Amino acid sequence: MEIVRDPQTRTGSDAVDVRASAQPTDRLEVSRKGPPVVSLKGLSKHYGENVVLDKVDLDVSAGEVVAMVGPSGAGKSTLLRCINLLEVPDAGTVTVGDQCVDAGKEVSAKDAMRLRRTAGMVFQSFNLFPHLTVLRNVSLAQERVLGRSRAEADARSMELLERVHLAHKADTYPARSSGGQQQRIAIARALAMDPQVMLFDEPTSALDPEVGLEVLAVMRELAESGMTMIVVTHEIPFARDVSDRVVVMADGGIIEQGEPHQVINNPQHERSQRFLRAVTER
Amino acid sequence: MNADLLSNWLEWLPDLGRGLQTSVLLAAVSLAIGIPIGLLLAVLVSSRRAAIRMPSIVLVEIGRGTPALVVLQLVYFGLPNAGLTLGPFTAASAALALTTAAYTSEIIRGGLEAVPKGEVEASQALGMSYRDTMRFVLIPQGMRIAIPALVGFGILMFQATSLAFTISLQELLSRAYSIGSSTFLYFQVLLLAGVLYLAITLPSGWLTGRLERRLSRHL
Ligand SMILES: Nc1ncnc2c1ncn2[C@@H]1O[C@H](COP(=O)(O)OP(=O)(O)O)[C@@H](O)[C@H]1O
Ligand SMILES: [Mg+2]
Repeated sequence: MEIVRDPQTRTGSDAVDVRASAQPTDRLEVSRKGPPVVSLKGLSKHYGENVVLDKVDLDVSAGEVVAMVGPSGAGKSTLLRCINLLEVPDAGTVTVGDQCVDAGKEVSAKDAMRLRRTAGMVFQSFNLFPHLTVLRNVSLAQERVLGRSRAEADARSMELLERVHLAHKADTYPARSSGGQQQRIAIARALAMDPQVMLFDEPTSALDPEVGLEVLAVMRELAESGMTMIVVTHEIPFARDVSDRVVVMADGGIIEQGEPHQVINNPQHERSQRFLRAVTER
Repeated sequence: MNADLLSNWLEWLPDLGRGLQTSVLLAAVSLAIGIPIGLLLAVLVSSRRAAIRMPSIVLVEIGRGTPALVVLQLVYFGLPNAGLTLGPFTAASAALALTTAAYTSEIIRGGLEAVPKGEVEASQALGMSYRDTMRFVLIPQGMRIAIPALVGFGILMFQATSLAFTISLQELLSRAYSIGSSTFLYFQVLLLAGVLYLAITLPSGWLTGRLERRLSRHL
């Protein structure tokens, strides 16, 4: 199996026009899995003078689990937030499923909303709605965004809560749950929109290590069920054992990527060696 | 003397009690009309569109900058010049509702802004519209945060109903004053009026504390 270690050098001019579902590029054949669900081309973002993302290219195939690691400030969160347009990129294109957004053009609120519900997002700080019961947390957007009836939405929510082993919490308020439970509820809430890809931004960083494990277990089950996932994490064992590909980011770019064991055990780039040594030897 | 005071009070109580009813009703009507307008103004002031935001800010600043007594006089004595004559209760309700709207819009805006940013991001990430995010996520949480300050304002507004004395509305203070002017027992009757105001404001303050604890249970 051929691994592309640095796609930035590989994707020359052909990177510009490739729109999702259509033609598979050589990079996609790398994956054992399907066509790309997320495709970023030349994605750039800056805050004032600070260039946070510098022409990033990334394709994620259907069913693929990508673990994204890298030092703080590398731009990992910004990258995830550009995928579901919580941040508007300055340049490049973002394709999720069959929704494509061109950074140059004005994005209508409607298009942004459509793209957002194709991508589920799980935040470091859970961000559940504290004034709603766990069940309402999971059902609300199903009703308002997908137009499901209350009964349909609640039935689906119960299924998902069972899947994260929290059906018994349905009628309680989030504050009654532990951090790990809250994060699993947040996962159920995101899954309820039937997203094509799940984005995780350091989902266990706010949790005790032990509690983090229950969240990682749910994420592993999700990965095994075939969900496409991009997971920003410092949990190296998870990256190594669950992901299909590890991507290392630093200073606003992808500096290295490839098969998990290879990247983790034998990083090529000096910057990734430094970072991976720091997280694995702690 | 003490027996005198007591028997006087008992004699005046029915009359002042009716005045108190008017005061409470006036405060309730002003708040019931003013707070929803305050919520609307708070949302408009938070609008991303300058064409909506700017006029709302101007309206709120004028409303907050003008003394309630001036607004009251303007509505009761001024509006008839413009061809609109209102009865004292209607005029007082309208004036105090306007003041309430202006003040509570700032209180509610503070509540909305105190809702953690992650709440909005979570709603957006689920594909919810700005409207739905406001309605189901921001407003319910922001109002909860604002409630203690709103109740505090409501107590002040109840006291401000005594301003309607100046437009001859038969509320608590004006009834006390007319008893005073016919008996010259100003001190005794105004003291009773003060006790009756306290009979409303003290329990309200106490109830707020309980309400606050109740509402913050899930937060
Ligand atoms: N809203 C913002 N305004 C200004 N700078 C920001 C903002 N968000 C992120 N940044 C900056 O962008 C850089 C990358 O941040 P981030 O994407 O959060 O990195 P990571 O998640 O990899 O730690 C940091 O230098 C950070 O200070
Ligand atoms: Mg981050």
